Amino acid sequence: MTQPAIHLDRVSLTLDGNAGPVDILHDLSLSIGAGETVGIVGPSGSGKSSLLMLMGGLERVSSGSIAAFGQEYGAMDEDALALFRRDKMGIVFQSFHLIPTMTALENVAVPLELAGSRDAFGRARTALEGVGLGSRVDHYPAQMSGGEQQRVALARATVPGPSILLADEPTGNLDSSTGNTIIDLLFSLREGSDAEKATLILVTHDETLARRCQRVLRMADGQIIDDARGVAA
Amino acid sequence: MGSLALSWRLALRDLRGSLKSFRIFLACLAIGVAAIAGVGSVTGAITAGLQSNGRAILGGDVELRLTHRFATPEERAWIEAESAALSEIVGFRGMVGAPGGETALAQVKAIDAPYPLVGALRLESGEAPETALSRRDGAYGAVAEQALLDRLDLEIGDALRLGTTSVTLRGVIAEEPDRQTAGLALGPRLLVKRDALEGSGLLQPGSLYRVYYRLLLAPDDTASALKLRSETDLPETGWRWRDLRDPDPRTTRMVQRIGRFLVLVGLAALAVGGVGIWAATRGYLERKTTTIGTLRALGASGGTVLSIYLIQIGLLTLLGIAIGLLIGGGVPLLLAPFLAESLPVPAQFGVYPGALVQAAAYGALTAMLFSLWPLAVARDTQAAILFRETAGTQRRLPRWPYLVVSGVLFAVLAGAAVVFAENAMLGGGFIAGLVVALLVFAALAQLVRWGARWLSRRRGPTHGRPALRLALAGIGGPGGETTGVMLAMGLGLTLLATIGQIDSNLRGMIDGDVSEEAPAFFYLDIPATQRDAFVKTAQSDTAIEKVDTAPMLRGRITGINGERADPAKLAPEARWMLRGDRGLTYETEPGEGTTLTEGEWWSADYKGEPLVSFIDEEGRQMGLEIGDTITVNVLGRDLTARVASFRKVEWRRMGLNFTMVFNPASLSAAPHSHIATVYAGAGEEGRLTRLFAKDFPSAVAIPVREAIARTRTLLNKLADAVRAASATTILSGLIVLIGVTAAAQGRATHEAAVLKTLGATRGTILRASFLRYLALGIATALPAIALGMAAGWGVTSYVFETDFRPAILPALFVAGFGIAATLVACVFFLARIVAVNPARMLRTQA
Repeated sequence: MTQPAIHLDRVSLTLDGNAGPVDILHDLSLSIGAGETVGIVGPSGSGKSSLLMLMGGLERVSSGSIAAFGQEYGAMDEDALALFRRDKMGIVFQSFHLIPTMTALENVAVPLELAGSRDAFGRARTALEGVGLGSRVDHYPAQMSGGEQQRVALARATVPGPSILLADEPTGNLDSSTGNTIIDLLFSLREGSDAEKATLILVTHDETLARRCQRVLRMADGQIIDDARGVAA
Repeated sequence: MGSLALSWRLALRDLRGSLKSFRIFLACLAIGVAAIAGVGSVTGAITAGLQSNGRAILGGDVELRLTHRFATPEERAWIEAESAALSEIVGFRGMVGAPGGETALAQVKAIDAPYPLVGALRLESGEAPETALSRRDGAYGAVAEQALLDRLDLEIGDALRLGTTSVTLRGVIAEEPDRQTAGLALGPRLLVKRDALEGSGLLQPGSLYRVYYRLLLAPDDTASALKLRSETDLPETGWRWRDLRDPDPRTTRMVQRIGRFLVLVGLAALAVGGVGIWAATRGYLERKTTTIGTLRALGASGGTVLSIYLIQIGLLTLLGIAIGLLIGGGVPLLLAPFLAESLPVPAQFGVYPGALVQAAAYGALTAMLFSLWPLAVARDTQAAILFRETAGTQRRLPRWPYLVVSGVLFAVLAGAAVVFAENAMLGGGFIAGLVVALLVFAALAQLVRWGARWLSRRRGPTHGRPALRLALAGIGGPGGETTGVMLAMGLGLTLLATIGQIDSNLRGMIDGDVSEEAPAFFYLDIPATQRDAFVKTAQSDTAIEKVDTAPMLRGRITGINGERADPAKLAPEARWMLRGDRGLTYETEPGEGTTLTEGEWWSADYKGEPLVSFIDEEGRQMGLEIGDTITVNVLGRDLTARVASFRKVEWRRMGLNFTMVFNPASLSAAPHSHIATVYAGAGEEGRLTRLFAKDFPSAVAIPVREAIARTRTLLNKLADAVRAASATTILSGLIVLIGVTAAAQGRATHEAAVLKTLGATRGTILRASFLRYLALGIATALPAIALGMAAGWGVTSYVFETDFRPAILPALFVAGFGIAATLVACVFFLARIVAVNPARMLRTQA
């Protein structure tokens, strides 16, 4: 049996809020296969983004365990998780989260540089050309539109060729036309040049968008209430 | 009116809960204002203390001082006629010999029966001074400061040698009412009756003594009226006038000068604070962009927006000034008992409105100048900002009227600095220096950013060093803290570096050249008849390397080119030449270390018209040319001499240098004494003093090394005061630095969170932050050292006229301090940056 890309076993997440602890996710178990595309939908506050953060190792579980390609997150410290993300993951945020002091090219090159790539800037340039920003490589985020910034973020997330691609409402801050372009790019980049396609986990409130994924998880009140497979090809 | 009321309402509503954003703004303003108010309050307290105790300090209502002579019968008659009471006191430096043969330099004061006209002379023993000083058992009495007893190991009842006479020590001075006006004394005080000096040989023509006539005015007379009468009745006396309105003008002048300089240093703190004010205002208004956009969308005009935030900044400025005034005016009051104890002059601590108004004016002008620009930019915020996706499209330059207002505010601030400093050169120079330093650091910051960007794009140096590249991106990228950090620390470090360089060079000059080349003693009042014997004694002692002597006379310049010498007609820097007596000498040949710059020296046997050689600088300042004539009154006789040459001398060697040197024939017949320089190694002072005291009792020995040590102590105190005032600039800089770093922290934390998602370890993030601040520290400290050295060179070369040597230790200190300060600021926030939870950070920013 092939190892799942991500496996969650009875995961719960409780965070400290101003009015005391808040239960975000309850006793959640889930397995996502390698190369699978998964859309996560649900109303605001249902725990979609928190689930994605847990999968990315950006948040620690309160109980239960998470593993990616068989590696337990609980056994890794913060730095080990960072290195794991560097080697295996790409993350795209709703608010782009580019580094404002770096140009588009530098932003895209960062993960490659961190990985010690010899041709970080050459590859970053190619990636930017791939998302249609070959002429904007030396622009700073503040000099670009939201759509352009998200394309830089996509290039940055995919340039190292990650095995898992996490996207949190990547079109949430964009108009529908730009959003569609971004999603097309996301799916095409996920295919990449690697022999094996990346696992894509996409958090969205847009049902249509989610239906482009092979599997749709529906969430409410911190739990998965529906797990529909075979939605898209 | 309605619109203004609305602006007030909206301003106050919007300000609620925003005070926290202004902590840096308030701290920056308060520190600068407090420094200026504090300096002004202490200066005011000392000046008021001197003035309110004028009569007691002076020992009368008016003092007339004559140098090297008593009043003529005509002058004495005038003084007696014009005063209700009169006391005549003679003061001079004299050598006091102990029974065991030890001698020490003392400041001798010979008093008459009416002394003191004001206050009382008290002795430790409680004995009446009149009794103690009277003639008993064949000798007059003397009373001295405890220091003299300690120095010579004296006991009450010991016979003291004073010149060729002897007095008996009968008491220790507990309180001397007019002590304050004595100025800087080179030895402890010794008081005797005037009669005790008869036959002492100490008050010969040409001896260096001063006669003080203290007067009490008639009840219906005033000091100013008497001064006018004296100028009309006796215009040529040349006496120095002091009265109860300003009993110690030298101290007053010095205190006010130091005070004015320290106020300027406080202004530097305010200028650094201005950077913090600018950054805080800009940051606050940027955070208010949405509010402003919303107000504009709801129909508020640009003017309304401006008035809302102008009201807020105005209120905060008032608050900051109030805090500063409270600290600056209040702390001296609280510390009054301690300060009064440690100050050598009387001080009357209180609230000095002038000082507070000056500090408040500087504060208000600085706050307005530095906040106007961001306010004017905010005024132009459009409602469309709410719908824009991209930043950076706002107007960056204010409209031209605001630029004009900024210019006017700056001109007023600079003008105020010049007016308050009462010295256009000092005030203007200081402001120009501040502006240049700020501009240099702003330009350097831009250069550093370009450099970082350039380096960041050269892939070679940063290849495989992600931390270095992240650091370079942080320094060179837009919206970073590079400019803020460099401006915050640059000015303070430059000031520190300048003080370090000047201080070190002055110390070097005193400890090095001066100490090495200076003589061991100056001998004054060597009778002309004993000059040859003095030289013979010196030459016969093997410890003495060299002895030089020169005839010494005193004379007052009374005429220039046949006209009465009027100080008002001279350049301000030359007026001192006409104040009182100047030392004169005659020489056959130019002295050692002297170079003629113009004209010719007289031949050894020249006996014609009197000729004089002037020191180049002083002569030029007086507007003299070769061939001009000057008239000097020597011992009541006018001597007119023609300027034959100008010369340069090496003052630093502390040899026998006189401003005016005459040809021998013109002065040698006048009664005079000689002065001498005696060169010997350290440690010989005690033996040599005894050697000369035996045969030359009236000659006064001034130990130069001791005088240098006193100068060094004075210099230390002055340097400490300047350093204390500069500390406020550094403090302001540190607060601005913390403010700038804190403002950048949000971005730095976000950056760290993003980097963590991209796979950066904590080590990489730590290294990047460390490198970034290390580079900023170095980039700030090095130019500060360079600027400090340039300023130090200027002051050392042109003010102190000595060679400049770059001082390495102070420079290293500045570098270390600057780098440490920026790194500490970095470390201050690093823990939070590294500990950031990326999930929460990135989601809260979604």
